[in-house]
Amino acid sequence: MPRRLRLLAILVAAAPVLLASGCGSDETAAQASGPSTAYDRALHDALPTDVRRSGVLRVATDASYAPASSFAADGRTIVGFEPDLGAALGRVLGIKLRFGQATFSELLSDLVNGRTDVVVSAMTDTLERERKADFVNYFSAGTAILVQRGNPAGVSDLAGLCGQTVAVETGTIQVDLLERSQKHCGDRPIVIKTYDTNADALVQLRMGRAAAVLNDYPPAAHLATDPHTRARFQLASTAQYEPGLYGMAVSKRRPELRDALQTALDQLIRSGEYAEILKRWGVEDGAIKASSVNAGGVATGE
Amino acid sequence: MRAPRGTTGSRLFLIYAVASLVPVLLLGLVLSRGYRQEARDRALVQGRAQASVIEEMAIAPVLGGHVLSESLRGRELGRLLRATELASFSGSVVRLRLRAFTGGIVFSDDASTAGALPATSAAFRTAASGGRDVAIVRDPTGGDSQVIRVLQPIVPNASGQATGVLELYLPYAAIAAKVETQLRHAYIRMAGALAALYLVLAIISWSITRRLRRHAAAREHEALHDPLTGLPNREWFRLRAERTLRSAEAGERGAIVLADLDRFKEVNDSLGHHAGDELLRVVARRLRAAVRTDDSVARLGGDEFGLILPSLSGAPAALELLGRLRGELSEELTLDSVVVGIEASFGVAIYPDHGTTVEALLKRADAAMYEGKRGTAGVVVYSDGVAPAAGTSLLLQGELRHALERDELVLHYQPKIALDTGRPCGMEALLRWQHPERGLLPPGAFLPAVERSALIEPLTAWVLERALAHRDRWLAAGVGWPVSVNVSARNLESPRFAEQVIELLDGSRTSPGELCLEVTETALAADAAGAERALRALSEIGVGVSIDDFGMGYSCLSQLRSVPVAEIKVDRAFVSGLDSRAEDRSIVRSIIELAHGLGCAVTAEGVENAQTAAWLRAASCDAAQGYHYARPAPWPELLDRWALAPEFQATTT
Repeated sequence: MPRRLRLLAILVAAAPVLLASGCGSDETAAQASGPSTAYDRALHDALPTDVRRSGVLRVATDASYAPASSFAADGRTIVGFEPDLGAALGRVLGIKLRFGQATFSELLSDLVNGRTDVVVSAMTDTLERERKADFVNYFSAGTAILVQRGNPAGVSDLAGLCGQTVAVETGTIQVDLLERSQKHCGDRPIVIKTYDTNADALVQLRMGRAAAVLNDYPPAAHLATDPHTRARFQLASTAQYEPGLYGMAVSKRRPELRDALQTALDQLIRSGEYAEILKRWGVEDGAIKASSVNAGGVATGE
Repeated sequence: MRAPRGTTGSRLFLIYAVASLVPVLLLGLVLSRGYRQEARDRALVQGRAQASVIEEMAIAPVLGGHVLSESLRGRELGRLLRATELASFSGSVVRLRLRAFTGGIVFSDDASTAGALPATSAAFRTAASGGRDVAIVRDPTGGDSQVIRVLQPIVPNASGQATGVLELYLPYAAIAAKVETQLRHAYIRMAGALAALYLVLAIISWSITRRLRRHAAAREHEALHDPLTGLPNREWFRLRAERTLRSAEAGERGAIVLADLDRFKEVNDSLGHHAGDELLRVVARRLRAAVRTDDSVARLGGDEFGLILPSLSGAPAALELLGRLRGELSEELTLDSVVVGIEASFGVAIYPDHGTTVEALLKRADAAMYEGKRGTAGVVVYSDGVAPAAGTSLLLQGELRHALERDELVLHYQPKIALDTGRPCGMEALLRWQHPERGLLPPGAFLPAVERSALIEPLTAWVLERALAHRDRWLAAGVGWPVSVNVSARNLESPRFAEQVIELLDGSRTSPGELCLEVTETALAADAAGAERALRALSEIGVGVSIDDFGMGYSCLSQLRSVPVAEIKVDRAFVSGLDSRAEDRSIVRSIIELAHGLGCAVTAEGVENAQTAAWLRAASCDAAQGYHYARPAPWPELLDRWALAPEFQATTT
């Protein structure tokens, strides 16, 4: 091969590598440019001894609730603004928050039984739930009504659900909301069907066995706009019913863990990293100004 | 010539055919590879789709949402066995296994764990990280058949959570058979299409090469034929003559003949070019009709034709054949309602007697024809007595044309000495050719070749112009000698000749009376009427006319009566014999008397000694020319000698 040709061949072969490395460095630069929050040694020291020793905080979530938490394409990694928030908290606390899949209705009992350290699963802080755990509030959202695209059952508000079958995830505040709505329906009650995961409830709606699914507003909006699902689902209206605060559930026996998480969250809010994470997932409307503990029950007045 | 052209054509076609076969075969290869690849891809897609259905319809409903670990719960195991056993039994599924992400076998349709894919394999890792791996592999349960292996995550719920890896082997034999059948059909269709394509290409290239061949043949015909008469041209004639000579067997005789029409120029000038063209066509037709089948006729240019007559017994046979041909040619024809008789001169060279090369034969045929032109015999066979025309006339003509352009020609002058005074009474301009290779050539070396060609016209015009210019120069030097210029028969035939001479005189300081045109008797004889017309016109304005080489040509004395002749020049053949032969003396004496009787002056040519000069003076000859007085020389030399040495007569007597 002539020298000139060989040189050319090397350049051609190297070009993709050069290009790829260029792109890579751009990406890391973009990530690094976002606000970050420093590791707080004092907070780390305030963590319970076993957590500090293991360096891992077990987090239970029901990953069927994008964009809060859901499975990535590989079927195993849990992604969403909750895992991202967890990772940021972990950096401040100097530990790892390891997210694991669990059934929503069993989350609090798992916490009480010590099978998990924290529950972060778009769980609305209610008085009833506060009886089982303490909640560090980190997000605010109401309930939205999700229907099939084209709204074949003509549902436009909660009253429109009377006489219809509605699918919901077991143990969610939406179950309570529907039950409270029954009193307006008279002799045409809502047929409430509950499922282990929100995904199972969505299957019912998709198959037409349910007229609506009640979700928190962010996941409902996500389903109605995501390219993979918007052809099937839409919001019945833009209304958000009974706005509440999401809370990270922590065992009542571990207030030091609860306080450490709250303080760390406050630092994230102050540094702007919290807002940046919510913005990345398109849910900045649900941002809170400051963290709180067990404020959900107070807010809803229950 | 046709045969080699044919093989060239078919070789070209063969190259085309092979060259187009290569891309066709390449195309076939690419297409068949594409077909095979596509068939495989289809099989993989089919395997993937089948695996999806099995996973979603048979496996997912049985499994709970929990991540698979080393063993299944009893209830799940039972339901899974029920869901898959029929498919395994019927062979729809070759093997089905559920694997934990760690690689452990959670379920196997045949309860065995042998031959499981290692958890470290690329396919397994792809499935464990959410991807799919589909491949065609050998049947892991043994046997030679191939199977489709699918590894994909088990996702038993709508939330998208993967709980393990499905390792599935599906039968490929049926698909493979179908793929093979499809491929076979595709191959047959493709082979057909490619064969058709190749056929079309072959037909196209065949027709193109044929068209090229015909085109080339047409071009060759064009290059070798004369468009006016349709006869072959000079080039063809030369090639054919060479071939004939080559193929002539030992002892076989034949003839190369050159023919030239006698009055063609007259027809052309008086009846117009289209009549001339028609005459040529008629001549071509008659020549072609008169020759034998194996003979060839070509038009060499102008009114010159060439014939190749192979297989003759000898010169008499040629003479007989050409005599008959000449007779047929001379039948009268009517051109533009004018009846014209065609006369032609034939020069014949017999091979191998007169030469074995085309050049030599043409040269000799040319010489013979030239001889015929000068004489009265229409057909002349070359013999050693015939003076060879200098060089090949046409070659010389070409060279001479260049010589004119490059100004290689020069004029020398030889004085005519008045015998009573011993002083020059005129200068004869004589053409010399300063040839770049052959040196200074006398006119005899080149003039005969051009005298009958059109080249003589510009040549004579050049001589006249140059001679008059020289005379202007010696007039300026104070010497008033008249100047003589030789004019050939062809000049006199041109109707514009007299006009040209008058124009040239007008452009010089020479008056018509100081110019003399020397014409040979033969030139006068050739075209009596035309020459007469021209000479009369010129003598009317005072130009002198001189009969050159008198006594040697074919003259008739009647011309002396009709042409206004001012001077008669006695040929050197008589003058050189004056000293020794009484016959010559009486001839010369008679000529002098005849000339004086007609009122002409007499000049003796070739005077080489004093006795001759003395005899001539005594016989009252007017002037003499010859080496005794002066050799031809450039005019300044003559001027030096004759203008400054006036009393030559005293020194010679």
